[in-house]
Amino acid sequence: MKSIVAIFKDERDQGLWAAYLDGISALWSITAHEGLGHALERLIGRGIDPCLVILSSRLYPTEDPELVARIRGYFPEAELLLISSSEEPSPPLLPLCADTVRHLAVNSTPGDPLGKEYFEGVLQKLVAGRPWSIGDCLGSQTGVRSIELRSSNQKEGVVGALEAAIAGVGDEFELFRQRGALLADELMENAMYGAPRDAEGEKLFKKGEERELLPEERLVFSFGFDGETLAMEMADNWGTLDPDLVVEYLARNQAQPGGWDDLGGRGLFLIWRFFDHFHVSVVPGKRTVVGGDLRLSRTLDPEAPRGFHITEHKKGDAA
Amino acid sequence: MTSQMNGGSAGSFDYFAIEGTIDASSERYFKDLPAKVSQSRVKFDFAAAGRINSMGIALLLRCFKEIREKKQAEITLEGLTPMHAMLFKMTGIFLLASPVAAGADGKGDSL
Repeated sequence: MKSIVAIFKDERDQGLWAAYLDGISALWSITAHEGLGHALERLIGRGIDPCLVILSSRLYPTEDPELVARIRGYFPEAELLLISSSEEPSPPLLPLCADTVRHLAVNSTPGDPLGKEYFEGVLQKLVAGRPWSIGDCLGSQTGVRSIELRSSNQKEGVVGALEAAIAGVGDEFELFRQRGALLADELMENAMYGAPRDAEGEKLFKKGEERELLPEERLVFSFGFDGETLAMEMADNWGTLDPDLVVEYLARNQAQPGGWDDLGGRGLFLIWRFFDHFHVSVVPGKRTVVGGDLRLSRTLDPEAPRGFHITEHKKGDAA
Repeated sequence: MTSQMNGGSAGSFDYFAIEGTIDASSERYFKDLPAKVSQSRVKFDFAAAGRINSMGIALLLRCFKEIREKKQAEITLEGLTPMHAMLFKMTGIFLLASPVAAGADGKGDSL
């Protein structure tokens, strides 16, 4: 059975996450308080070789910046997931770039029943190596509409269709529609102008120019709304998005508000900030899917920490 | 292209009303805008502005930086929707330009 190791700062930190981890099978939860090296040696002595290591943001990256390097020394094949509380400041992301940590989960506000469900879903997918799917966060009877794009001129029509799907009146719905519209805009711009690259990695098209898709190019925008959650994704068949670059874009834009003239990845940064949950899945040279979900009942705090999941799959995997 | 600027001087400030979507197609307008500033205070009215995407934010930042650096002018923003305000806070626009608090009549205080 594939196992998971969760590492916390101390018992108090461990206790804060107990409700989320309760019932997760093959999970070994340890604290660094009484000597991390010793605890890890004990796990290895028992034959534990986790496929996933969960790290608390109370330990990494600020308190123990070398933690990831040490963990990789013990478990080189394990995927790493950083977990952070929504009630604490967002962890600095630049160290995550350096350490290629591509998963950050932020817990929901206390009492949110979907919080544990989401967290369990994240763990299951990471353990199984399965990508996020647009249907994962929508009600079971919710239809997903997929639109194949052929031209940049379709963008406003697609945005309009998404807005029309969010039926409801009042300021809450209006703001939600605006968030959804911006996300759809950014996802399509990214796929239309960011994804197409030549053999040297240079962009083939400039933002703002009208363009038709190339004969072999395939872009599909999908969305669904179940009355509470709006989920959407943009899939392209370029597979040019570099997973490490995504984390770097998020980190640099987070660290330098107002420095947008000099920074790339502005669209991805906004997508990350406006989704409640942000997912990127890349099969290099074959397929990129960028998507996520947002919930009507959740107010958008511009400074609230946000998680992300950026996964690179091999060409044979289903992404 | 749906972005329009209605430039004009009203008393001791320049006034620009922004309309419609602000995106890559707005580039020429925002490049040309700083040259139109002649006062030491500039007011931008976003009440009729629609969606502003990341390219639009980049254009606004460049425009506001140029106004502040080359014209030494202070910039205030009015008519912001909650969505605009969130975007501007996230992206550092408010480091360059100050939002005007809405008055009881829903309009911004005059400069």
